[in-house]
Amino acid sequence: MNKLRTEITKGEEIRFISHLDYARAIERAIRRANLPVAYSEGFNPHMKIAFASALAVGVTSEAEYMDVELKEAVSVEQFIEQLGRQLPAGIRLKQAKYVDQRTTALMAVVNLAKYTLVVPVHADTDPQSLQESINQFNQALEVRYVRESPKGKKEIDVKDYMAEDIRVEIQDGFAVLAMTIKITPTGSVKPGEVLHALVGQFALNVAEDGVLIHRTGLFTTDGTKAVPPIDLQ
Amino acid sequence: MIKLDPTIMNRVTKPARYTGNELNSVKKDHNRVKVTVALALPDVYEVGMSNLGLKILYEILNDRSDTAAERVYAPWVDMEAEMRKRQIPLYSLETFTPVKDFDLVGFSLQYEMIYSNVLNMLDLAEIPLLAAERTEVHPFVVGGGPCAYNPEPVADFFDFFVIGEGEEVIEDVVAVLAEWKEKGRPEGRNGFLKRLAAVQGVYVPSFYDVSYHNDGTVATVTPNCIEAKPVITKRVVKDLNTVKFATKPVVPYLDIVHDRIMLELFRGCTRGCRFCQAGVLYRPVRERTPEKLLNIAQQLVENTGYNEISLTSLSSADYSHLREIVTGLIERFSDKGVSVSLPSLRIDSFSIELAQQVQQVRKSGLTFAPEAGTQRMRDVINKGVTEQDLEQAVGAAFRQGWSSVKLYFMIGLPTETDEDVLGIADLAYKVLHLYKEIKGRRGAKVTVSVSSFVPKAHTAFQWFGQNHTAEIERKQQLLKSRLKDRGISFNYHDSRTSFLEGVFSRGDRKLGQVLLAAWRAGARFDGWSEYFKYDVWLEAFEKCAIDPYFYANRERSEEEILPWQHIASGVDKEFLVQEYQQAIQECFTPDCRRDTCSACGVCPGLSVEVLDWGNQAYE
Repeated sequence: MNKLRTEITKGEEIRFISHLDYARAIERAIRRANLPVAYSEGFNPHMKIAFASALAVGVTSEAEYMDVELKEAVSVEQFIEQLGRQLPAGIRLKQAKYVDQRTTALMAVVNLAKYTLVVPVHADTDPQSLQESINQFNQALEVRYVRESPKGKKEIDVKDYMAEDIRVEIQDGFAVLAMTIKITPTGSVKPGEVLHALVGQFALNVAEDGVLIHRTGLFTTDGTKAVPPIDLQ
Repeated sequence: MIKLDPTIMNRVTKPARYTGNELNSVKKDHNRVKVTVALALPDVYEVGMSNLGLKILYEILNDRSDTAAERVYAPWVDMEAEMRKRQIPLYSLETFTPVKDFDLVGFSLQYEMIYSNVLNMLDLAEIPLLAAERTEVHPFVVGGGPCAYNPEPVADFFDFFVIGEGEEVIEDVVAVLAEWKEKGRPEGRNGFLKRLAAVQGVYVPSFYDVSYHNDGTVATVTPNCIEAKPVITKRVVKDLNTVKFATKPVVPYLDIVHDRIMLELFRGCTRGCRFCQAGVLYRPVRERTPEKLLNIAQQLVENTGYNEISLTSLSSADYSHLREIVTGLIERFSDKGVSVSLPSLRIDSFSIELAQQVQQVRKSGLTFAPEAGTQRMRDVINKGVTEQDLEQAVGAAFRQGWSSVKLYFMIGLPTETDEDVLGIADLAYKVLHLYKEIKGRRGAKVTVSVSSFVPKAHTAFQWFGQNHTAEIERKQQLLKSRLKDRGISFNYHDSRTSFLEGVFSRGDRKLGQVLLAAWRAGARFDGWSEYFKYDVWLEAFEKCAIDPYFYANRERSEEEILPWQHIASGVDKEFLVQEYQQAIQECFTPDCRRDTCSACGVCPGLSVEVLDWGNQAYE
C-alpha cells in the first residue's frame, strides 16, 4: 500500500460547509481525478482517506491534513496535478508526500491547533478594556464552560486546553485574537467556545456573532517544538 | 451583488444553503448575455437541488452563450427572518444577483403545497405578487412542472406557464425574449407575452377570461386577444436521445435529498393506474437507448464524482434493457466505488433478483406499492398486480435475506369500502406470516405507509369527490386498531394536508385570493408538518367567502367544464371518461407499451410514438 499525506486548505468560498461536507467534496474530487485510490473491503466499500481533525461550520483553514491510501503508487507530481485540477473552489492542495504505511494515524498525532479569530468590536469600546479582558482570561486558573449538545450538558475547564496565552490586536474596528489550543485524546475546546467564554465571563466587548474563524495550522508537539504532521519523519 | 454578513451565516441553520460556490455551478457576466433566467424551486435547498427537471434546464440554458441561468430556493424560516430584518432581497446562488434583476424567474411547481412559498419568494424578491401589478422593471414570472397542468389557482401570480416537457420549449422562450429585448421591447410586457403565446405549450393566463355559473362552476373560458389559442397543448419531446440531459449538474456540499447521479432511463409510464397524474402527463413512454444511457452515465461519473447512480423513471423496472444497463453500469464503475440503485420496484421476482444484484448486501429494506388492500380495489385503480405477485416478490426478498419491507397504500379511493381498507391490514399480516413460514421464526419488520388519495386534474378520477377529512380519519383509525402487531409500524398522512392539496389540485382562479390571504396570515412551508397552519387556511377561505369543500369533496359531472379544460395533456377526455367507467366496473386496461393500444389519443394527437427498445430495434 502507498500512503500519501497531503496538506490542503478550506477557503472562504466554502467557509460554511461542515466537516462531513468537506470530506465528501474531497472524496468526489478524488473519484473525478481517476486516481487509483484504495477502498475498504466489504459490501459497502468506502474510500481510504483520513483527516487529522474536523473543522467546524464557519471555520476556514490554512492547513488541513489528509492521508490517502492508493492501490498503486503514482508520482507525487502527478497526484498533485490530477487532484488539483478536480478540487472545487475553496480547496487547494498545497503539498503531498509519501509516508510509511505504518505511520501513526493523523488523528492520533495531531495535538495542537492554532487559530485566528477576527471579530467586530463594538463602537464605543476602549482597546485597553479588550486587552484587559484577555489578560484576565490568560491569568485565570480555570474557566468553567458548560457545553450543551443534543447529548446533554457537559462542563469543561477551557484552560485545560489552552496551550498558550491568547494574544489580541485591534485593527480597523476588529479584534484579532490568536489562540493555540490543545487537542487531547479526551477532547478539546472549540475557538468559538473560547470566544463565548471571553464574552460571557470576561466582558470582552465584541460582536460575537460576527466572528470569522481561521485555522492557521495543525501540529504535533512534545511541549517544546510544534511540527506540522506533514513534516514528521 | 448581495454581500452576506457573517453574522447572519453564523446564526442560521445550514448556512451552506445560501452560500453557493458548488462544483459545476455556472457564473456568467450578466452584461455579456442577452437573457438572464433565475430557476426557482419553492422549497428548501436540499429539496430544490434534488429536482432533475431544473438540472436539465440549467444545463440547456447555460450551454447557450447568450443566456445565464442561476438557481434560487426558498430560504428556511430562520434565514427568511434575517433577510427581512436586514432587507436583503432574495438572490441567486451563482452571482448573488437579486432575483428581481433577472429577465425571467421560473418556478418549478412540483406540488400544490408549495404555492405559499412561491408568494413568499416573490415577496422576498421584491417582485409584485400579482402579474397585473408588474411593470417594465420587473422580471416575467413563469411556472412549469406538473402543477402547471392546472395553473388556475395560481394564475394571478404568473405572467405565463409552460405546459409539458421543458427541454425544447425553454429555448423557444429564450429566443422570443432575446428578440423582443433586442427590438427594444415593442408593446411592453404584453408585447412579449403576445409573441410568446404563439409558442406551443405556452399559456398566458391574462389572455383568457373565465366566467362562472351561479353554482360556482366554470361557465366559459374565453381568449381575450387574437394571439391566445383556445386550447394549449403540452410540449413533448419526441425522442429523448436527441435532447440534452443534465450531464454536468451542480454538485452540492450539503447532503441533499437525492444526493446521487440521477439517470433517467425513460419518460412516461403507461401502466395506466387510474389515480396517477404523472402517468397521464408524461405519455407516451419514450426510452433512451442503452448506449445513450451508458454514455450519459460515464459523463456524469466523470463530472460529479458521485458514488451512486440511481435509475430514475416512473417505473424503472419496466425498462426494456434493464438487465443490460444494470450489468453494464456495474461493470464499468464498480472499481471506482460507484454503486447502482433502483428506487422503484415492480412487484415481481425479477425485480428482487435485480435488487439483489445492485444492492449487494445492503439489506436496508425493500419498498413495494400494492396501493390498495384488496384485489377488487386494485382492479378499480388498474394496479395490475395480484396478491400472488406480492407474495412471490416479498417471499423472494425474504429468501434472499431481506427482513424489512415497506408497503405503500392509499385510502379514500373511489368505491372504497371498509373491507377494502381492512384489506391493507390483512395484507400486512400476510407478509408477516410469510416471513415466519419461510424463515421459521418471527422477525420481519413491515412498515405500512398509507397516504390519502387526492384526485388530480387530467386523470380518470378527476371527477371524483375526495373523501372528507373526517372519513379519512375514521379509516385511518380503523386501520390503526387493526395493525397492533409489534412487527408492523403504521404511518399515515395528515388528512388536512391532503384536503388542502385536493382543493388546489382541482381549483380555479377564485382560489388566488385565498392563497394570498393565507400567505399574508403567515402560511408557508405548508408541506412541512411543523409549519403547516391549518387554521390560517380555514380563516383565509372564510375571509374570501370561498367554500373549500366545493373544490375537494364534490363529485363533478362529466358535462361540467373543468377549470383546466383548456390545457391539454394530449389524452382525450373520452378516454378518461371511459377509464372512470372501467374503474367502477372493476375492469382492467392493459399497458399499451407492450400490449394493445387503449386509444388514449396522445400518439396521434401529438404526433409522437412509444419508444420501447424491447419492441423495436434502435440501430
